[in-house]
Amino acid sequence: MFRRNAPEKGRRVGLGRLGALALGIILAGQGGDSVYAGGSARPFSFPREVGGILTKRGCNNQECHGSVKGRGGFKLSANALYPRDDHEWIVQGGVYQVLSPEPLGSRKPRIDLKQPENSLLLTKPTMEEPHGGGERLSRDSADYRTLVEWIRAGAPYGREEDHRAREIQQLEVSPRQPVIRVDEEQQLLVTATLAGGLTEDVTDQINFESNDPEVAEVSDSGLVRARQPGEAAVVIRAAGRAATVVIGVIRQPLAGYPQTSQRNFIDRLVFAKLRRLHILPSDPSDDRQFLRRVCLDLTGTLPPPERVKEFLANDRPGKRDELIETLLNSPEFLDYWTYRFADLFRVGKSVQGFTKYSRLYWEWIRDGIARNKPYDQMARERIAAQGYGGPALHYYLIGGDLPSPQDMMGEQVRVFLGRRLDCAQCHNHPYEPWSQNQFWGMTAFYGQLTRVGDINTGTAPYNIILDDPEGHGVLGKGGPTVHPRNKTEVQPAFLSGEPAGQNAAEDPRASLAEWMTSPDRPEFAEAIVNRIWGRFFGRGIVDPVDDFKLANPATHPDLLAALAEDFRAGGYDLRQLMRRIVRSRVYQLSSFPNASNRSDRTNYARAHPRPLDAEVLLDAISQVTGVPERFGTKPEGTRAINLVSSDMYPSRFLELYGRPNRQMVPQRKVEASLGQALHLLAGSTYTGKLSGKGSRIDRLIAEGASNAEMVEEFYLAALSRFPTAEERGELEGWIEGQASRQRAAEDLVWALIGSREFAYVH
Amino acid sequence: MKWSGCLQCTGENLRRRDFLRVGSLSLLGFNLSQFLSLKDLMAKAGPPRKAKATSCILLWLEGGPSQVDTWDPKSNSGFKAIPTNVAGIQVSELLPRVSRHMDKLSIIRSMHTEEIDHPEATHYAITGHRPNPTMQFPSLGSIMAKELGQRNGMPAYVRHGEHDDWKGYERYFGSAFIGPKYAPMVVPDPDRKDFEVPDLSLPKGISLERIQDRRSLLRIVDRLCRQKEEVAEYSRMDSFTEQALSLILSPEVKKAFDLSHESEKTKEAYGRHGFGQSVLLARRLVEHGCRFVTAAGYKYNQWDSHSDNNEGHRDKLCPPMDQALAALMEDLEQRGLLDSTLVLVMGEFGRTPHINPNNGRDHWPHCWSLALGGGGIRGGQIIGASDERGAQVAEGMVTVGDLYATLYKAFGIDWEKTYMTPVGRPIKIANSIGDATGVPIEGLV
Repeated sequence: MFRRNAPEKGRRVGLGRLGALALGIILAGQGGDSVYAGGSARPFSFPREVGGILTKRGCNNQECHGSVKGRGGFKLSANALYPRDDHEWIVQGGVYQVLSPEPLGSRKPRIDLKQPENSLLLTKPTMEEPHGGGERLSRDSADYRTLVEWIRAGAPYGREEDHRAREIQQLEVSPRQPVIRVDEEQQLLVTATLAGGLTEDVTDQINFESNDPEVAEVSDSGLVRARQPGEAAVVIRAAGRAATVVIGVIRQPLAGYPQTSQRNFIDRLVFAKLRRLHILPSDPSDDRQFLRRVCLDLTGTLPPPERVKEFLANDRPGKRDELIETLLNSPEFLDYWTYRFADLFRVGKSVQGFTKYSRLYWEWIRDGIARNKPYDQMARERIAAQGYGGPALHYYLIGGDLPSPQDMMGEQVRVFLGRRLDCAQCHNHPYEPWSQNQFWGMTAFYGQLTRVGDINTGTAPYNIILDDPEGHGVLGKGGPTVHPRNKTEVQPAFLSGEPAGQNAAEDPRASLAEWMTSPDRPEFAEAIVNRIWGRFFGRGIVDPVDDFKLANPATHPDLLAALAEDFRAGGYDLRQLMRRIVRSRVYQLSSFPNASNRSDRTNYARAHPRPLDAEVLLDAISQVTGVPERFGTKPEGTRAINLVSSDMYPSRFLELYGRPNRQMVPQRKVEASLGQALHLLAGSTYTGKLSGKGSRIDRLIAEGASNAEMVEEFYLAALSRFPTAEERGELEGWIEGQASRQRAAEDLVWALIGSREFAYVH
Repeated sequence: MKWSGCLQCTGENLRRRDFLRVGSLSLLGFNLSQFLSLKDLMAKAGPPRKAKATSCILLWLEGGPSQVDTWDPKSNSGFKAIPTNVAGIQVSELLPRVSRHMDKLSIIRSMHTEEIDHPEATHYAITGHRPNPTMQFPSLGSIMAKELGQRNGMPAYVRHGEHDDWKGYERYFGSAFIGPKYAPMVVPDPDRKDFEVPDLSLPKGISLERIQDRRSLLRIVDRLCRQKEEVAEYSRMDSFTEQALSLILSPEVKKAFDLSHESEKTKEAYGRHGFGQSVLLARRLVEHGCRFVTAAGYKYNQWDSHSDNNEGHRDKLCPPMDQALAALMEDLEQRGLLDSTLVLVMGEFGRTPHINPNNGRDHWPHCWSLALGGGGIRGGQIIGASDERGAQVAEGMVTVGDLYATLYKAFGIDWEKTYMTPVGRPIKIANSIGDATGVPIEGLV
């Protein structure tokens, strides 16, 4: 491998990239014709030995031959995940095509059985032939000799029983959670557990790669060198397996790390990691910060001024817990979480096609939240929905026709398992162990889904969804699922690869729902606890919250597992999960950083300010100003979070702040934009709402409120706190100096609702 | 030569950056001659040719016009074919004015797309990708805005036409994962008496002094939180607020959006209707620096002529389009903007070659037509051909990806580029059928 002892691992990426490119333009086809001669001198295992070398040397890296289409006409599976395919591409040659099982053009083997040393497989990586990937192998290496011997032995695939015994089942890295100081080094050791039960030190067979070489770089032999404080994940690849280890880098240990008080397992696990990384958590939040945060997070609603005053004046020790219980049982909680799940599950007129459908679907969600329906049950109802009714209605896409089976499957997996299989629709996933076969096996659960009747044409009073293996649906797509690559019929099979079996024939999606929500596997619970956690911290333990994959490891795997286990054990109770989170010390930390956690973003050492979502922000503005938003013919005072089919109500404000259209799984991200700034200065939300019939300003002026009272009430309403003495002085003084009190009050309110303190949860 | 897959490995990166690192090539065992041949290959693939186009106007014919009644006249149309100012090119008699500007426009008669209903087809036409519930794709306008950047302080991407009713498709014109920075600024129908660009001028009773007062109050209110927290988004919002204020106060920007600077004669030439005035406004906007302007398309699915197709095309649909497009081509030429302004006239699909029982034509993505010109696109060309009824592509199929690639080439944008989604999925900016990358249409650019 080139730059074997490279001191600067970071540069390797750039060079490798260039190399890969050059490879692409130098056409393949140097290999001599060959005649197979058989007979092995010793038993070879292609998957383990050759696959291992190709992995260790980076040949099947996803940026080189392991990319979707390979490089330079040579395709390998990433990490030797599919050794049968690799063997074929090497021994028979040929250029891979994505949408066809046939190779492109004629096949030329990449090995030369008569003169093994002349094999392209060897002359390329040794740079005897020009190789865009550079020198990956030297002629005097043991790996080179192994490959020569393997070719000389007839390039066998080997016997299945040998592979099984030697197959790597698991990789373990030692140390497991290394924390090192800047400029220190740490050697990683990798142990493989083989299928036969033996363990083996495989450190010298590993391809190491750091995802952030600026924090920690790693050499080809697994020596980590710390460069600057932070965390870096080192991905460890061996034949057919991969793992990650997260390296913590600190500047210097803190002398006398203090005791942190802990309330539950969340605190224990988060604080333990902070201690390892020598990061101090911020102070606990004060009451005003906690109050506003917990009200917005649990109910999407600001506390009214009276509640703020009462809470701040209250000095009972258990008042935070009492507040949490009040909020968990409030009607606003129901409104808010119905809205959140209506977002995730995609309720909308343009999605379900008719308002009565979106309402039925929405009511099913609302009922589930109201009754605190176990979340696994909700998931099963949605995945296995049949007939006409709430959860069955989510299948309608824009246009009113059923989406394709692969889209329906992909959406469920993303929503409920937090994984994105889309890549595997057209080809094996380039860097996750998901094959195209697995994708289509999962898709086959949806292949029989049919729509019977069509409300548009009057063939039925409404649309009915059911599974129809014969494909009798009037407009349905029911029928066999066909693998796009080999054009054969695919039987339903779970993501794990196991076939669905006989039970699935009757009701395939019911068995899929059972499988997806089964307590025997962690994915389902982990996906939802991570999603909910992300809501309360602005960042998932895996982030983005629905992108679980090897290359995107959890920052706190132990915490994720513990939350999931707690959630399962507690009967998939969403309120209980939220209670656990908001009662923790970690959630209740202040948003103000200290010297040690200033640059940290991933370890929950403090609360990170999060922008309010479009609907919540608009509702908050209406609440503070006292001037409600009008949504079409909806009754005055209808809140944005309570709109059933939000997409029916045009709103410049909601668009500017990123209301999703619900035709795709929402990916909300409120980012500052020019449009928002224009709207803040000149838009109707920030100008028209300041005064008007029933506004808070009008009421206060009518009641004869003093300037001090006015400033105080608006502070309590908007920021859930009293103004500081300094703020009071400046603001009251300013109002005093204005000719028009009305105008002065409007300007004050504009400043409050336009402030970052208002627009964020802190 | 095509690269696909990982962004790090695309030719784009090589062309733009890695050639600077010739020194490091020797580390890979490259010799100079290999390097030079590599460079040759790159030169052939890339767009180093001087691109002329700097702005694009899309006349969006939402609902899907009938190809046989517009750009591809056939015997199964209710209308005759007429000659144009380019020998050998005929268009429908419903386009008499445009026929006199055919030297500036070219017609593609072999568009082939894959979606048959409006939402999916609009998504497909405007993003180049079939809709997928797990993925949001950036629109053509947003990609252009990102690739070309802002000019003269004007918003890069403006879209006319706020639908009054159901807003199902609006998001398709958005920026998706490439960020809100590249989302369109949306303006209402400029032919309305109360036409005003939202949020671009201070409301009545709000003077500049009052805005300054408000901003100083804002500083007082926000002081506490900004002293203690460090949030990058806060300062980003500050810089947007500065930018917004200068936009609001800029007379140039205001002028760009103000049709009262156009003579009555010009307004008449484009047509006193929403379509014509939006095209005129689009011309003003690109003249002032906008990169991509979507004009027309006010009425939801207005070209969707499932009934009375002929009357619709003859009386309501073609005349304003014919008038506005002809006026635009003439106007651009007179102002010397034709070479820098690419005009694209299209809907999301075509219509059936046969007439249905309601005397209408239904959706038809299999073979349809569109027109484009300016911005360095060669005029007076016919690309591809349909069969005798305008039903199927007879030769030279063109995909949306090919169309996009053609536009990108005209702008000097590398059409083989991919964008990486936040989760690491490469998305082609010129996506063609069957996992292919679009190819610029030979003869046009």
